[in-house]
Amino acid sequence: MGAELSLRQVRQVRAGREVLRIDALDIGPGEHMSVLGPNGAGKTTLLRLLVGVDRPTSGTVTLDGVSTARRGVEVRRRVAYATQQPGLLSTSVRRNVELPLRWRKVPRRERARLVAEALDRLRVAHLADRPAQTLSGGEQQRVNLARALAIDPEVLLLDEPAAGLDAQTRSAFFADLEQALADRATTVVQVSHRAEEALRFADRVVVLVEGSVHQVGAPEALHHRPADASVAALVGYDNLVSATVRTDGEVLVGGAPTGLLHRGPAGAATVAVFAGGVLLADAHGPGLPVRVARVIPGPGHHVLALEGAVSLLAHLPMRVQAPLTGDVVRVVFDPVLSVVLPDSPADPTPGVLDGVELAYPSRVPS
Amino acid sequence: MIESVHEVLTRSALVSVAATLVAAVIGIGLGTALALARIPGKQLMTAVVNTGMAVPTVVIGLAVALLLWRSGPLGHLDLMYTVHGMVLAQVLIATPLITGITLAAMRLLPSALPDQLRALGANRAQLVLRMWIEARIPLLAAAMAGFGKAISEVGAVTIVGGNIHGHTQVMTTAIVERVGRGDFNSALLYGAVLLALAFAVNGLLASVRHRGASWERN
Repeated sequence: MGAELSLRQVRQVRAGREVLRIDALDIGPGEHMSVLGPNGAGKTTLLRLLVGVDRPTSGTVTLDGVSTARRGVEVRRRVAYATQQPGLLSTSVRRNVELPLRWRKVPRRERARLVAEALDRLRVAHLADRPAQTLSGGEQQRVNLARALAIDPEVLLLDEPAAGLDAQTRSAFFADLEQALADRATTVVQVSHRAEEALRFADRVVVLVEGSVHQVGAPEALHHRPADASVAALVGYDNLVSATVRTDGEVLVGGAPTGLLHRGPAGAATVAVFAGGVLLADAHGPGLPVRVARVIPGPGHHVLALEGAVSLLAHLPMRVQAPLTGDVVRVVFDPVLSVVLPDSPADPTPGVLDGVELAYPSRVPS
Repeated sequence: MIESVHEVLTRSALVSVAATLVAAVIGIGLGTALALARIPGKQLMTAVVNTGMAVPTVVIGLAVALLLWRSGPLGHLDLMYTVHGMVLAQVLIATPLITGITLAAMRLLPSALPDQLRALGANRAQLVLRMWIEARIPLLAAAMAGFGKAISEVGAVTIVGGNIHGHTQVMTTAIVERVGRGDFNSALLYGAVLLALAFAVNGLLASVRHRGASWERN
């Protein structure tokens, strides 16, 4: 059974600088929580507080109501923490995985069984007798994870578990991780600066920016309703442009219509648009005029670098004839793939298409 | 003559091995504490250790003699002109060296290692033991260096031991004495035996180190 983690009024100050401030955050038993944030956002600091390696400057961090700072070893032995650098010890793979079990006084025969099971689960059983330092980066990450899972922890903390792996290895690694956790009720907290990893198997995501929580929500909510521009950038919106919302709701960028209508308050705003949401519109109709600065072939689409009142990145389906470099075209934003974020604090709302005639209207869902 | 060499050699080895063992316990403990613990005055203590490595052994001998002298603060222990007094002098000579090398060895380990071990569930004793295992090769080198310094030292053991025949004479003081008498043949013999002892001990430790490295791979 997974344990419950709670943070209350937590402040962590390092060298006179507040590196983390969380007023309240609860992670339920068995919940998979991802922490998404750029480098230096305080993600690792948060994990170190959760595992009890560090004490908060103020506030409390509890595991099932027990302070992680006060009950050091006792709490740490209920938690497994796979650090970003695997940090395998200078001994065999088997001994690396066995050591935390030995520290927990697990009987020898049981240890052997758990080690074999964990190595097998992470597909590294054939490396058991190899010196850990001779493994490749991907193998070390798997052994690191096997070491964490072998103790059957109530809480599993993963700090950028696939850092340094190439895309293919990373994908296989996460597939195995998901499988390894599938039949467990372990509470999992995974931190990452990559949205695709953080959102992959999380029940909820916490977005940390400069030490503070900007948003907590389900992965879908983060995609559809990012709280602000920093969250939008983190979850993968390719374009963040300054805009003006008129009193009639029309959203303008550089004074030109974007095809979006906003139901919120008028005034300055930021529009976040995925590259796939920048649509070529009729050359003579309404839309934002831009010059095609570059056309690059991408996987299944053309990548267009557009320059105008703002710089934009667009993905155009391969089946659509791409404009030529230097062409001036008009673009509008797909409301399904756009969100208007008022500069004054308010709920962000997805855009509403304003009856713009598109060059390839079939891309916009009805 | 041969019996005398044997006797002096045995005394030399026992004094230096005993001193190295004591110095290793103190030095490795102190070096580890300086590397890992959050203790006030850490920088000052590190500076003292570094200075201690460079202090002339004859000065240490003088300080120990003043301590052990009949009117000194430890005079009541009656350690002056005894092998125990010589062990004490050699401990003071070897400890800063072992401490300094231990401190450097601990600092060479990945800085995240202590936190990583804590996060894996190690208590304080398990953490320190694992750190020593990770640093076993340089720690062994520290002990070897300590022994080398102790057995080759002449000034402090002369002052504290007094080079008394059949009682406190060790290889180095025996060599000095024989050179003083112009008995170069004996001095050379003692020198060759001392060299052989140093080789043997270093060979033994190198073998242990090699086995340690092999074990590391397994």
